[in-house]
Amino acid sequence: MKRVFSPLGILSIVCLLLAMPLMVSAQAALPDDTTLVIGQSVDIASLEPSLVTSRQEANIFGHVFATLYEISEDGTLQPYLANSYSISEDGLEWTFTLNEGLTCQDGEALTAEDVAYTFQRAANPDNAFTGNTVGFVMPGVGYVDARADSELEVTIVMDERQSEPLRLGLLSEVYIHCKDSYEAMTLEEAATTPIGSGPYRVVEWVRDDYVLIEKVADFTLRESGFERIYWRVIPEASTRVAELIAGNVDIIANVPPDQIEAVNNSGTAEVQAVQGTRRMYVGFSQRDIWEGEGAEAIRNPAVRRALQYAVDVPTICQQLLGVECTRAASMVNDPNSNPNLTPYPYDPAEAERLLDEAGYPRGEDGWRFDITFQGPRGRYLNDAAVVQAIGQYLTDVGINVTVEILDWTSEYLPAVREHNVGPMFFLGTGGATWSALYDMTDIREPQGGTNYTEWNNADWFAGWERLANITDPAQEQEVINEMLQIMYDDSPWLFLYFQPDFYGVSNRINWQARRDEQVIVYNATLAE
Amino acid sequence: MAKYLVRRLLQSVVVILGVTLLSFLTLHLAGDPTYLYVSERATQEEIDQTRALLGFDRPLPEQYLRFVVRLAQGDMGNSLRARTPALPLVMERLPATLELTIFAMVISTLLAIPIGIISAVNRGTALDGGVMLFAMFGQSVPSFWLGIMLILFVGLSLRWLPISGQVPVLVPLLQGDLMTAAENFPQAFRHLILPGLTIGVFSLSRNARLVRSSMLEVLAQDYVVTARSKGLRERTVILRHALRNALIPVITMIGLEFGFLLSGVVVAETVFSWPGVGRLVFNAITQRDIPLVQAAVVTFSFIFVLLNLLIDLLYVQLDPRVQLK
Repeated sequence: MKRVFSPLGILSIVCLLLAMPLMVSAQAALPDDTTLVIGQSVDIASLEPSLVTSRQEANIFGHVFATLYEISEDGTLQPYLANSYSISEDGLEWTFTLNEGLTCQDGEALTAEDVAYTFQRAANPDNAFTGNTVGFVMPGVGYVDARADSELEVTIVMDERQSEPLRLGLLSEVYIHCKDSYEAMTLEEAATTPIGSGPYRVVEWVRDDYVLIEKVADFTLRESGFERIYWRVIPEASTRVAELIAGNVDIIANVPPDQIEAVNNSGTAEVQAVQGTRRMYVGFSQRDIWEGEGAEAIRNPAVRRALQYAVDVPTICQQLLGVECTRAASMVNDPNSNPNLTPYPYDPAEAERLLDEAGYPRGEDGWRFDITFQGPRGRYLNDAAVVQAIGQYLTDVGINVTVEILDWTSEYLPAVREHNVGPMFFLGTGGATWSALYDMTDIREPQGGTNYTEWNNADWFAGWERLANITDPAQEQEVINEMLQIMYDDSPWLFLYFQPDFYGVSNRINWQARRDEQVIVYNATLAE
Repeated sequence: MAKYLVRRLLQSVVVILGVTLLSFLTLHLAGDPTYLYVSERATQEEIDQTRALLGFDRPLPEQYLRFVVRLAQGDMGNSLRARTPALPLVMERLPATLELTIFAMVISTLLAIPIGIISAVNRGTALDGGVMLFAMFGQSVPSFWLGIMLILFVGLSLRWLPISGQVPVLVPLLQGDLMTAAENFPQAFRHLILPGLTIGVFSLSRNARLVRSSMLEVLAQDYVVTARSKGLRERTVILRHALRNALIPVITMIGLEFGFLLSGVVVAETVFSWPGVGRLVFNAITQRDIPLVQAAVVTFSFIFVLLNLLIDLLYVQLDPRVQLK
């Protein structure tokens, strides 16, 4: 049979196809001496500052909008747009004094009116905002109103006295925006046209692709290293890692533990592992909706305490999270926790002894009691594997554990929010470095939204009442320490670890990752 | 013909409504979406307020009816996350997805035809075996894995092509900015190759097998034997006589292929950070952004329905025996 295609013809076509990509120039938006490129897993949903809900959004907004105070890396609260504040005698009015000569990105002067407007606009029910400011900052501080007292003095009115660092930290989450521009815009326009007050301005947002911000020349409150910052959206972790190693991005978050070695061996980037502020724990639900011997058993503090000894947390960190960790001893992040609390050690023999003592000896079948342990998949670092490992540790001390792994968004999240997860469940909740009370507000009320176990310890809640009347920080810390001791002993949570965060950082820059999941890069510089 | 078109369009409306109803129910069966729109520290009161604000407190039939009424007025509502009209968000991303889909379809078709012919002409040889083995591999390999492998090998090790991202061509073209489109083309082409291959390999393999089997069937026909016995060159026999007839089922398949590729871009768009509709819908589903999902569903259904109609009309042109009733 004769040939239909000549080999030379086929070879020519193949060569042409292979050569075409090589004939063209290099790709755009690469890092250079004035441009920093960051790879994030998700895009922002909007450029409306009152709709920010995720950390990824906050990372970008934090560069475009300034706040009254700023949470520093070590958890202290530093002046930013405001240089000081005073509190009224009754603790209900906080007056901030702004720096002089501030300007908005629309060229107008940034004054107390802009700050008051920011709060009023967020609180306006007609705007129907659902972001962090309305979602937890305003309820958290007990916001009532805001007013401009003079050009540089603005007063925020609150409904009750509250811990100073807690309130100041929460207020530091509010992005100040500029009245003239925002008053003139519809909500739809505001969602795409941010007029900021921070060190960078938005140049371009290509949805699901990148956000480009550039330095504001006349912003003097912060020194910024790079002229331009690209926030690229790279949803797949392996792709982010490949782009980092190839030198196409400078910083990526959430490096998968199994790819840390590849990054470190690349010669172009290294992984920074930091102990995050998210508290990972196993909750013991106290709700009476659960039936069975296991659900009954974990209502007994002695059982809960016994189970603290059953789980080898450092090994879980080492084997499943790819990092050494110290077990948590409380729900509060360092340095605000009770320093006298030591993490429960891994001691299965002690766990078994305490369970025997609590009235739950092994039966003839070897089991002490049956219980269901639920956990999510796809929300936390290696979550499903961690849940299964914990289930195995509990099995080893005679608990007949049925592990149920549920999809986060469709099953687990609604169940958590309705307190219908359990009787044992795995969860992580965001924490802070700047206030013990911020971490503790998870358990502010017996049936409160974030008290997922519905733990109702009278001494604990009496502690909250005492705190309401304390103004002295040392006295406040004393009560906090007592409360954390109560929680340690009563153990509504099986304390695990503060979730580690892994950032891939290019060797061409100097930048230090923070504990609180914030990626703040205006202080990043080129390496020597 | 006109009657047929009207009937098909009416059927299309029913199909689109059916699809929207199914997606609406599925999204609601997967849990209360309100929790995704409040912070993890929100109180029950705030959750209830948000639920009412988003309209999720109303009975499901009422929610769906409201959607249908608005749809009839050409309004698909606002995205719950972006707070902007949902349909423009979909249309904004559609060109990127079309670029990728068309590119994948072109490479899969252009390569499948010669590969299928070579395989058929060399039936039973090692070359045929090798090609069919490759085709089987192409149909079996998960696109997610293939995408990552291409990134690691071609993008990272060889540094031949960009690892991720997109450079637009269709958007400036549609905006009449031919200069930008032309300037962007080389970059766009480079960015298209890896994701295009990732989603095109399955189609390429399937089409190559289809061309091969179709060619084998045609090559056994009497008129091919006659053509050869007349002393025509083999190339003329294959390309002029056999291929034309062998391509009829292939063209039918290619028409359907577009819809298949369009629905299969989610993985490639995620792996290669391609800002298309697939990723938009995927994110909207995980965030229960129901208006956005519905806008995308209606758009995709419309494209599918239109494609099917075009294919049916094309049949009549290709095969005179087919009549529209």
